[in-house]
Amino acid sequence: MKPTLQKLYAWVDERLELGDLIKFMAKKYVPVHRHSIWYYFGGVSLFLFIIQVITGILLLMYYKGSEELAFESIQFIMSKVAFGWLIRSLHSWTANLFILTTMIHMFSVFFERAYRKPREMTWLSGMLMLFLLLGFGFTGYLLPWNELAFFATKVGTEITGVVPIVGKPILQFMRGGDDVTGATLSRLFGFHVAVLPGIFTVLLGAHLLFVNRQGMSEPLHYADTPEKERKTMPFFPNFLLRDMLFWLLVLNVLAILAVFFPWELGTKADPFASAPEGIKPEWYFLFMFQTLKYIPAKVWIIDGEVLGVLTFGLAGFLWMMVPFWDRKSSRGEHNRYINYIGLFVVMYILLFTIIGWLA
Amino acid sequence: MRHTYRFLGFIAASLLMAAGISFAGDQCLTCHTNIVGDKPAELFQHDIHASKGISCADCHGGNPKMEEMEMAMDPKAGYKGVPKGDAISEACATCHSDAERMKRYGSKLPVNQWSNLQTSAHGTLSTTGKEHIAQCITCHNAHGIVSVKNPTSPVYPLNVVKTCTKCHSNASFMRTYNPSLPIDQGEKYKTSVHGVRNGKGDPKPAVCSSCHGSHDIRTSKDAKSSVYAINLPGTCSKCHSDARYMKEYKIPTNQYEKYSTSVHGVALLQKHDVGAPACNSCHGNHGATPPGVESVSKVCGTCHALNADLFSSSPHKKAFDDRKLPECETCHSNHGIVAATDRLIGVTSEAVCSRCHHENENPKGYAVAKSMRLMVDSLAMNDSIATALVNDAEQKGMEVTEAKFRLRDSRQAHLQMRTMVHSFNEGKFREVVDKGRDAASFAKGEAQGAIDEYYFRRIGLGISTLIMSMLAIALFVYIKRIEKKQEEQA
Repeated sequence: MKPTLQKLYAWVDERLELGDLIKFMAKKYVPVHRHSIWYYFGGVSLFLFIIQVITGILLLMYYKGSEELAFESIQFIMSKVAFGWLIRSLHSWTANLFILTTMIHMFSVFFERAYRKPREMTWLSGMLMLFLLLGFGFTGYLLPWNELAFFATKVGTEITGVVPIVGKPILQFMRGGDDVTGATLSRLFGFHVAVLPGIFTVLLGAHLLFVNRQGMSEPLHYADTPEKERKTMPFFPNFLLRDMLFWLLVLNVLAILAVFFPWELGTKADPFASAPEGIKPEWYFLFMFQTLKYIPAKVWIIDGEVLGVLTFGLAGFLWMMVPFWDRKSSRGEHNRYINYIGLFVVMYILLFTIIGWLA
Repeated sequence: MRHTYRFLGFIAASLLMAAGISFAGDQCLTCHTNIVGDKPAELFQHDIHASKGISCADCHGGNPKMEEMEMAMDPKAGYKGVPKGDAISEACATCHSDAERMKRYGSKLPVNQWSNLQTSAHGTLSTTGKEHIAQCITCHNAHGIVSVKNPTSPVYPLNVVKTCTKCHSNASFMRTYNPSLPIDQGEKYKTSVHGVRNGKGDPKPAVCSSCHGSHDIRTSKDAKSSVYAINLPGTCSKCHSDARYMKEYKIPTNQYEKYSTSVHGVALLQKHDVGAPACNSCHGNHGATPPGVESVSKVCGTCHALNADLFSSSPHKKAFDDRKLPECETCHSNHGIVAATDRLIGVTSEAVCSRCHHENENPKGYAVAKSMRLMVDSLAMNDSIATALVNDAEQKGMEVTEAKFRLRDSRQAHLQMRTMVHSFNEGKFREVVDKGRDAASFAKGEAQGAIDEYYFRRIGLGISTLIMSMLAIALFVYIKRIEKKQEEQA
């Protein structure tokens, strides 16, 4: 068996010159320090993206994106298609884990100041991907066309509509009319399976290219650490194998979740029914939703909801632009305010998500 | 005898004196009786109000002590003339809504008639839009009013129907208010048991006001109405459950008691299903009378149409008619009808079939009843197993929508079977039962498949977890080995 594998490798190597690639990867080193664990969240996010693509394509074989058939087609996938239940549950659970691991990855990059020069573009592409991921979550949520998704989409799109000037046209564009209908489903379906994946793939390619060109970011204190004391490990095979070990664990967790907590389908959406009590968005939008609830209807002369949406928009923009205003970190100096801001944001998101969850 | 004449003379003298005292100084009556000689003045002399010392001026105003007409009927002296519209009832209410004043006259009458009238169906505005439809005098007359217990009163039980039908049987009048309201209530009433007795001079049977109330009459759609579906059995039972009141009519007084525990009574009185039958649904309302033996199935068939049709074309129809048995009632009883269960079918002691069909005397009917019961039990058992399996699968979080849907077909067949039993045709009955059994079998299969799938998933997860764990361990060992090798090389 071993000689056969070697022969196969030699055959491929002769054509693709894999040896050069391995040498290239073996030259790549990953810094080893007490925060190295966070490096794995980028890789696991990539792994979850791959699962999403595979399960998404499989679901596409049976899913029907229309008001009349969407719910029934998922019902069919869950009950009649061989392993359909597994594919759908994996897709739903992976979507949530994907957003979670990406957020962890983003915050770890933030606290490590890995966004600093020369990695501004890596940070920017990553942040854009995170926004796209939220878009994936929002557009995918309506696709089963169940009661909860229908009303959550209604509320979600309404919030978009409060943005001054562009809000209303965006709302109309997203809904394909004044209300959430089959037209909305078709649009969000199109975005979910074509527009967003296309943009995401380009950004992911760029992101990986940047990481490859620049290597893993080293912590700030490495600048003052003598060369000999800077611990590293080869990217190939050490880091890649550890990455794969982590992926295996995540895959097992996903399998357990899919079997023990199959993603529920609920009841079919009825546009004429009244909204069920306690409509909430998915957990990753919950902190914003809960904040909007606390803002008074009118703050000075500005509408409370408009103020909230604009504040979140501005905060998101500033967050994305951190490499450009945190000049201190780019100079290799320690900026403790970044820690304070980061901690405040993490605490805020956690607190309001919990309140929103319990409310 | 002489003492008697003396006594009567004394009474007559006293009455004349009393009248003299009452009307002493009332120039209204003096003129209107002696000079004008009009009807109201004549009637008023026998009016209950006159006997209580109430004068014309108490309603019409003016100064009854003045002999000169201009002075007596001077508006400056408070003369109001003949009240019009709501002013009529308001004039009556001056005393009749004043508890203190009514007490002074020794009256025990309630004082809420006017307020009740205003909120009643008659309290809505008339076509002129200026007054209520009915005023006090509409029913009680204006002059010559007597106590309701007086047989000459228009609201005395024997006269009530005539009083009400003055308007309610007048098509052109009723059309102006409610064109959809029938005007044959009076005619129907005359054919009812109540009406017949009333026509014979018995004041005890129900008249219009007994059921609809007097001043507070509301439409039957009004939940506060005494004839609103949910309130109707209680209204009927006021008399029909009163053993002392009903004694002379020699009919049972336990109908309400039975009805309230019946399937119909529970639906109406407890579940507030206003579509459920009340007393009038079977007996009629204005033409209330018990359905005869021959018409029970027609009466029940107004709601249970399919059952009645099936029964009419079944062999039982002739058998029941020959024996003069009331059709539905024979098996289901009347007021105390209980929910029809599967136990009614068959040859067990609880089953109604065995009341007539005995193994030796009527073996054919007995065999059919027995066979039908077996089919019923078989469907019920299949349905129960399927339900348990579907519930189990659902509890396990499995998708069983289709099984649940087919389970509904099985239950539907169960209901159809209860209807089809009225055909007493074993073949037709079997068709329905088989349809239900097929549906239950399908649901059973689907649910069992889902349960098997549930365990398959767990076993699959166990195996995949084992493989992944082994892979992870192998990978971990491999990494350690590589790193050890790398350290040694370094």
